[in-house]
Amino acid sequence: MVKIEEISSTATFAWSHDNIPLLVTGTIAGAVDIDFNSTSTCQIWDVFSKKKGGKPDVSCTVENKFYKLAWSKPFEGRKRGVIAGAFENGSIEFWDADILINTKDLEKASIHKSSKHTGPVRALQFNPNQSHILVSGGSKGELYIWDAKTFSEPTVPGHAMTPMDDISSVAWNNSVSHIFASTSNGYTSIWDLKSKREVLHLSYSGNGAKSNFSCVAWHPSQSTKLVTASDSDNSPLILTWDLRNANAPEKILEGHSKGVLSLDWCKQDPELLISSGKDNSTILWNPISGIKLGEYPTTANWAFHTRFAPAVPDVFATSSFDGKIIVQSLQDTAEAAAPTAPSNDEEFWSEISSKETQKPKFHVHQAPKWLKNTSSVSFAFGSKLVVVRSDNPGKSVVTVNKTKIGSSIASKDNLTK
Amino acid sequence: MVTVANAHDDLIHDAVLDYYGKVLATCSSDKTIKVFDTDGTDSYKLIETLTGHEGPVWQVSWAHPKFGSILASCSYDGKVFIWKESPENRHWSMIAEHAVHSASVNSISWAPHELGAVLLCGSSDGKVSVIDFREDGTTTHVAFPAHEIGVNSVSWAPVTHSNNAKDTSGNTMSQRRFVTGGSDNLVKIWHFEPSSNTYVEEATLEGHTDWVRDVAWTPSVLVKSYIASASQDRSVLIWSQDNSGKWKSTPLKDERFSDVVWRCSWSHSGNVLAVSSGDNKISLWKEDLHGKWESAGDVEQ
Repeated sequence: MVKIEEISSTATFAWSHDNIPLLVTGTIAGAVDIDFNSTSTCQIWDVFSKKKGGKPDVSCTVENKFYKLAWSKPFEGRKRGVIAGAFENGSIEFWDADILINTKDLEKASIHKSSKHTGPVRALQFNPNQSHILVSGGSKGELYIWDAKTFSEPTVPGHAMTPMDDISSVAWNNSVSHIFASTSNGYTSIWDLKSKREVLHLSYSGNGAKSNFSCVAWHPSQSTKLVTASDSDNSPLILTWDLRNANAPEKILEGHSKGVLSLDWCKQDPELLISSGKDNSTILWNPISGIKLGEYPTTANWAFHTRFAPAVPDVFATSSFDGKIIVQSLQDTAEAAAPTAPSNDEEFWSEISSKETQKPKFHVHQAPKWLKNTSSVSFAFGSKLVVVRSDNPGKSVVTVNKTKIGSSIASKDNLTK
Repeated sequence: MVTVANAHDDLIHDAVLDYYGKVLATCSSDKTIKVFDTDGTDSYKLIETLTGHEGPVWQVSWAHPKFGSILASCSYDGKVFIWKESPENRHWSMIAEHAVHSASVNSISWAPHELGAVLLCGSSDGKVSVIDFREDGTTTHVAFPAHEIGVNSVSWAPVTHSNNAKDTSGNTMSQRRFVTGGSDNLVKIWHFEPSSNTYVEEATLEGHTDWVRDVAWTPSVLVKSYIASASQDRSVLIWSQDNSGKWKSTPLKDERFSDVVWRCSWSHSGNVLAVSSGDNKISLWKEDLHGKWESAGDVEQ
């Protein structure tokens, strides 16, 4: 594991969409510190800057603790996006990220505050295609759609098939912007904002145990596919579905020994999914083949939230109730690397104390899609040009072309034959 | 055009001809490297399949023939292997392994031969390493952080034969200069600083809005020195230094490419740039008399 940063805080978080992403963290509701410190803070971390020595860029004290944070992509008038926070008292607040980073003042950055929800809000997500649209899920089945441009009265998505209880997660479809999913009562609901109703209702029972769906995520590009996971300890399953047949799941991913609390499907590579749960573990999967790819070092308590950095999927973060947010790289080959022999005693002891005791276990090394260039070109002696092009899926063709570039006169003619 | 058919069982990521333009090396997601010989004809015959990497092999690079028939390869497994062909039986074997990186090694490049047998590597662990293969058979390396999140590409500057090409000790270290491109959207220029005995960052070039996928420094000193950088943002920028030494960029074309630009390569004379993109298009570009870049055609499929 290449651990990038460890933040000491029992907090939820959201990534910014920058290429060098920032992390916003907020003290999680429903947990207390070892010292029973009840203050709640909202902080912004530049985890890739080594110069700051583990200090946040922005740190503000807030009255209430958080259940969830979300950070939108930039949109008109909000060049670094909008941060939305859901507090334990049910209020939702929106901040301009650029103003917050520059002024380090939550008050000045605040652009809207609402107590529309009547109870705790545990689920928030900005729409991936319409960056200013947010869905929030609260207690008693309350779901609201917000417009962070106008802040007009939030709308409800329509009628539910069955009465709902607390909403534990929400997820927008990545390609059809008026579809989203939510989990409540152990069911997964699919909503269509155009027809203003719940259009599908997923449940699963297998091996005598009912799955209690607690989190949901959509396929990065195929609109009918989603993954949902159960937080019940006697059925800690992750299920992939193709909604064209909503009667049964496509794949069942078994590997967590206790309930699953969080999921994220990689936007850049549909063959990568991370999950974390009550068994304190974070697991990397290939949800298409259904194979468990690897496990990251376990935390000392429930790992309740895990997310890829949206613009840098090589990196992800997991927060746990043992008071840590760990930011680490997805890839690691360090275990394969030859150990370097310490040259003296001092080096040995400094190395042994700084070394992680746990290492991630990779069962299958699967290169992420974003590293796989599909074409290549290289010139050689005699103005030859070697070209690689992808052909059928998973196949490439190599050609050696003779170019006429030896003549130094620029010409518009096609230089190859 | 000659097609090398059915070379690998999976995607091929790189294919390069040797110094004389005769022997072809390819590498693939199938974890192997293949070596083909033309045998004086127009067809390529497989002479060897090199196995040992435990992940996709991203790039291969031929050393200058004065060091022997030597190929370097880099892989997702975090390793760099050096392969050598025995002149007697044409049998290939691995002669060195470098596991100095802790993540995928995405790019490798041999230095201009005047600088010795020196290999430059860039990795997803954010570091660049420079490996020196000395004449007495020993190797040394240095590794240092270059780009946050990951290095995607490395390329050497050509050696200029000016008066200071060699210092009094005949050492060419001060001639070492290269360019790197990374997932921080940046292009960086580095050189060896004899006074501190380290590689130092000489310039950081900002211009891309997404990952820099490839960088290529013109290999010849006969033409003006340029660096081409290809990016996930679907653009290629051509960088050059003005009289004050400041780096300026010109876009290769005004509009964006229709897909991600994966790789770019200069002709040996340094005046034509070939560009490959995710939509399988290969285009050639040339500078006109007014310093503007114009299309010199596409390489047909």
